[in-house]
Amino acid sequence: MDRRVFLQTSAAAAAAAALPWRDALASTEWRTFETVTRVEVLRPRGVSRAWVPLPMAEDTDWHRSVGSSWTGNAARAQVAADGKYGVTMVHAEWRDGETAPVIEVTSRFMTRDRAVDLGKPVANAPKLSAADRAFYLAATELIPTDGIVRKTALEATKRARTDVQKARAIYEWVVDNTFRDPKTRGCGWGDIKSMLESGNLGGKCGDLNAMFVGLARSVGVPARDVYGLRVARSELGYASLGVGSPNVTRAQHCRAEFFAEGYGWVPVDPADVRKVVLEEPPGKLAVNDPKVVAARTRLFGSWEMNWLAYNMGHDVKLPGSSGPKLPYLMYINAETAGEMRDQLDPDSLKYAIASREVKA
Amino acid sequence: VRAFVVLAAVAFAAAAGAAELKPWTGGATPPLVLQDLHGRTHRLADYRGKVVLVNFWATWCEPCLAEMPSIDRLRQSLAGQPFEVLAVNLGEPLGRIERFLEKMPLGFPMLRDRDTAAAKAWKARVVPASFLVGSDGRIRYVHYGELDWSSEPVRKTVAELLE
Repeated sequence: MDRRVFLQTSAAAAAAAALPWRDALASTEWRTFETVTRVEVLRPRGVSRAWVPLPMAEDTDWHRSVGSSWTGNAARAQVAADGKYGVTMVHAEWRDGETAPVIEVTSRFMTRDRAVDLGKPVANAPKLSAADRAFYLAATELIPTDGIVRKTALEATKRARTDVQKARAIYEWVVDNTFRDPKTRGCGWGDIKSMLESGNLGGKCGDLNAMFVGLARSVGVPARDVYGLRVARSELGYASLGVGSPNVTRAQHCRAEFFAEGYGWVPVDPADVRKVVLEEPPGKLAVNDPKVVAARTRLFGSWEMNWLAYNMGHDVKLPGSSGPKLPYLMYINAETAGEMRDQLDPDSLKYAIASREVKA
Repeated sequence: VRAFVVLAAVAFAAAAGAAELKPWTGGATPPLVLQDLHGRTHRLADYRGKVVLVNFWATWCEPCLAEMPSIDRLRQSLAGQPFEVLAVNLGEPLGRIERFLEKMPLGFPMLRDRDTAAAKAWKARVVPASFLVGSDGRIRYVHYGELDWSSEPVRKTVAELLE
């Protein structure tokens, strides 16, 4: 880093320290939320099916599922899970002849803000088994860990020694080299090899955080994407990192974690740094804008939990579907007469997701 | 909105109109030790010798509320027989449960699963989730989703467990 940039960054960091969102500490209070997801398969032909992701099944110290229920006119429905990642979903099926297939899934879950102190490792930090380490270092169909991915990661981490340092270097690389592309459909599919080969490093969270995960895995740092949904406004002052209304139909967002000995799983979100750059008012902020610097500091090691976690799955095969594997399950999916409906096209698959905080 | 069948088992269930109890294949009965709304502790083990319907529910769950009256009808029809209902609420505040019961008085114990640990141990990720426990303490049948507990097929199944 040259001196001029260092001084600019230092000044921005100092300014950022004075901002309310920089000083805000993670809340330790649990909050309860409810989401209601209503799905309608339009113009059904033959048997129709729909798959609706459910809150993450595994309880953590930052996210707990309470339960789910559903209503509708499906002939059959069940909770289904993929066998590999524990991705859970409601799988509904309607008979041929059902003219207006509909299902409404209500889920309740609890969250609290999450932060990991990376200042000093602790002896009783969670461990990762050898099997889990191998699992979270493995390639997926769209996230290879060799070739250009590993080459890029090795270059980015050449001065790093520990896993935290490597993860930090990759985080900074993603923030510095990628950008949020508003034209990307949905959240992006995370085809990181193509991104690196083409040199087009624009995308959304599904791309940018997958980039973090792939680069980290390729240099031996266990990492994973966590797919979910923003459900409330940011209490920390980021207009771009929350939702402004109960309608969260388009609020899907994925995050990332890496594992480090002495710390456990560490939350990060480089994609949201790029979202702040693009969208935080007044918009198109400079990377050394105090708001960006604050977000960049905060999002390496903490998550504000105004967000529902669905799952950590890749290459998800929907049970009963004739369609191909999905890179991930974060959106509503449906098919009719054996043809998948475009999950991002409201004209073929109508769905709405509402969220609210449940107060005692 | 018409409530419909909910399943969490490996296979699909029958259609909504043909909802039925499924034999339990999920292994040993998890412990159930919870307090009711008055702070009194209920242990499933203390109900040994009776057939017990353990019903996980929540006030925000529309199918749960829809089936509650039929559970009470079943309980009343079996008065004097060794049959009990234990309703387990998923983590809701006492006031909310009490307000619900003011609107829909029910004659069976309401237990509070404050941290939803019991629901997770019983694999009740979706509600309503209902388990028929035999007099020997083993889970015999399960049903996820709304069910007419006063229907003839259900009564017959319960009667067989009471024999």
